[in-house]
Amino acid sequence: MNFDLSDEQHVLSDLAQQIFSGLSTIERITELQTGDGFDATLWNELAKAGLLGLCVAEEHGGLAMHMVELSLVLEQQGKHIAQVPLWSSSIAAMTVAQYGSPALQTLVLPGVCNGTTVLSCALANFGANDSMNPSVEATDVDGGVRLVGSKPAVPYAQNAHFVVVSAKRVDGSVVLALVETDARGVILTAVDGSDHQPQANMDIDVVVPASHIIAGLTNDGREALRWMHEHSLVALCAIQLGVAQGSIAITAEHVKTRHQFGKPLSAQQAVAVRAADAYITTEAMRVTMLNAAWRLAEGFDARQDVLVAMYWATEGGHSVVLAGQHLHGGVGADISYPVHRFFLWGIQISTQLGGASQHLARLGKLIASR
Amino acid sequence: MSMQIGDSAAEAIFRDQARTWLSQHASLRSDDVANWHDDLGGHVVACKKWQHVLYDNGWAGISWPKQFGGRGGTSLQASIFAEEQSKFDVATGSFAVSLGMVGPTLMAHGTPQQHAEFLAPMLRGDHVWCQLFSEPNAGSDLANIGTRAVLDGDTWIVNGQKVWTSFGQFSDYGILLTRTEPESPKHKGITYFIVDMKSAGIEVRPLVQITGVAHFNEVFLSDVRIPAANVLGQVNNGWAVANTTLTSERAFIGGGGSSWTVEALIETAQKLGRTQDPVVRQKLAAAYTRAQTLSYLGYRLRTASSLGLIPGPEMFVMKLAYARHWEKTMDTAMEVLGADAMLWGDNVIDNGEWQHRLLSQFAIRLGGGTNEIQQNIIGERGLGLPREPSVDRNLPWRELVKG
Repeated sequence: MNFDLSDEQHVLSDLAQQIFSGLSTIERITELQTGDGFDATLWNELAKAGLLGLCVAEEHGGLAMHMVELSLVLEQQGKHIAQVPLWSSSIAAMTVAQYGSPALQTLVLPGVCNGTTVLSCALANFGANDSMNPSVEATDVDGGVRLVGSKPAVPYAQNAHFVVVSAKRVDGSVVLALVETDARGVILTAVDGSDHQPQANMDIDVVVPASHIIAGLTNDGREALRWMHEHSLVALCAIQLGVAQGSIAITAEHVKTRHQFGKPLSAQQAVAVRAADAYITTEAMRVTMLNAAWRLAEGFDARQDVLVAMYWATEGGHSVVLAGQHLHGGVGADISYPVHRFFLWGIQISTQLGGASQHLARLGKLIASR
Repeated sequence: MSMQIGDSAAEAIFRDQARTWLSQHASLRSDDVANWHDDLGGHVVACKKWQHVLYDNGWAGISWPKQFGGRGGTSLQASIFAEEQSKFDVATGSFAVSLGMVGPTLMAHGTPQQHAEFLAPMLRGDHVWCQLFSEPNAGSDLANIGTRAVLDGDTWIVNGQKVWTSFGQFSDYGILLTRTEPESPKHKGITYFIVDMKSAGIEVRPLVQITGVAHFNEVFLSDVRIPAANVLGQVNNGWAVANTTLTSERAFIGGGGSSWTVEALIETAQKLGRTQDPVVRQKLAAAYTRAQTLSYLGYRLRTASSLGLIPGPEMFVMKLAYARHWEKTMDTAMEVLGADAMLWGDNVIDNGEWQHRLLSQFAIRLGGGTNEIQQNIIGERGLGLPREPSVDRNLPWRELVKG
């Protein structure tokens, strides 16, 4: 038993913390609002530090690490509400590395590692948003697979060169395809997300060449979709952990320094107790996320573990950012003060790949249905 | 050392040895356990018997140093053994105070004579111990205790009243907090004693609780004489000693070792045909996520203690999280039981254990410091919020307004 980080993992986490705290300042995030919202300077620094290819094999220029390490970097990103497509690009790259052909890996992974190629994931669906039941239709055609349909709110699609798209044939089998964003038949429509980060709806009517099919070309790619989905959920849990910590840190500072009735706000028990509850929830988010990340990295069955982590990230994360916003009183309503950014990202993640009740329903089915 | 959630190879071997030994000396807990709550005295006898078996076979005090009669193992091994032991039908409850709280305090603060006199019999299960801390006017504000001890030659004479004393009516010894210097501020004039519960002047009155069991007691002390050699730690420095005990108590309650699992509740729900109800299923799933979280927090604690590090925030988070888990899951259990939830005693499903646990939640939520006291501690130590302003920290205890 050793449920603690190794020395190397601590070093990696410190490195990420330095980069994000140095570059993703509140001034910088405010400045990004006027541009396209993508922090290119930060992206280049992450590339230089090797963090864009963290889980990519060394032969493609990566660091050959695993999900626990990625989660540590994403946690730091969340803590500093940094606006880069790190989770979506990393998970897309890991999916290509895990299931894509050697030629496809050689085509995209070196660019991912040096920062010149940006990837994204299109897992969500319009309607019921069951990631395991994609609504884009796939049909086998000469030389590849034709995809027809739409995907909502694809993260940083405007900045991405390729998007991993999940689709389903009439017979129910799943296809994972690497779709080029500037291919004819792909239309991106920018949408405003609640977290104010770039995202676009994606209308698709393209034939994806067989060489770009990651999984499910001649069989059912459902296992690959499950793999990608589980890794995506844990990546979001890791960001949410950081977001929650960031919210608590700024809130603790606020209630310590703001005085009412002649004493700090935190000297009111009702305030201190609500902050303490947020802290407890964050610790629950940390341990459930790390457990799920470790099981994925070890290749163990993690179906229940991922749902447990996601439940805490959605339900728990939501309650933490809400407490942060509430404890700031009127100050939190002023958008020149940063606490609302934690709230907005926290709420976005709480719904991104299904809400708390959806995760709980799945878990209930797994552990109790009989 | 890289992350490894679950047993290492050596730990797996230890678990296997423990399970093998347990299966040779005890039978597995069955669905149909006898309801021991009705016969607390019989339970104490069974606890003593089982502790003797553990001691004679070298399985008592797994993480206690060998010099004190323990096995000299790691705290991880102690947890592994406790996990395996919980699957067997053996009685352990009445030693929670002695082994979980008094032992660690004695080892940290006791004299060599006190170690020699008390630790080995404690480990062997010869003596039941109780905790004489809370008073009618000193609960959350424990440092406000008013039970007086006055030195007379080489003997202290004690007068006062204690309350919420678990297993007091069966105890051989108690750990006792007294006021010895009323002129000092409240945290400074406290002395911590070991008291023989058979001493003249001690009267124990059982309190029947909401569960129907008299687990707690009131204890009245009238001119009780305690030899000066039974002071634990320094005279007037009892608050520091008490904190060792309270930390152990929190760790013990938070560490679970509970007699129930979410899996058992799921089985009951299956028996009653309740698992097709999606709302019940979601509530069971929520209980499962809470239980998992507690396990992982425990793993983090064990990792820290096995590496010799000071545990992180898990320490004070766990007791509170465990109490809330208990409360919420027993609400779910009542929903699962349906009409059966209205019944009581041995005639209902699972011998009425779920009803008993519902009513036991108050001991968990209030013991070792209330949930709200834990939240205050988390605010101060976890978040670095300023300590609550208190007007009475520096005033002499005798000048404070008494409740």
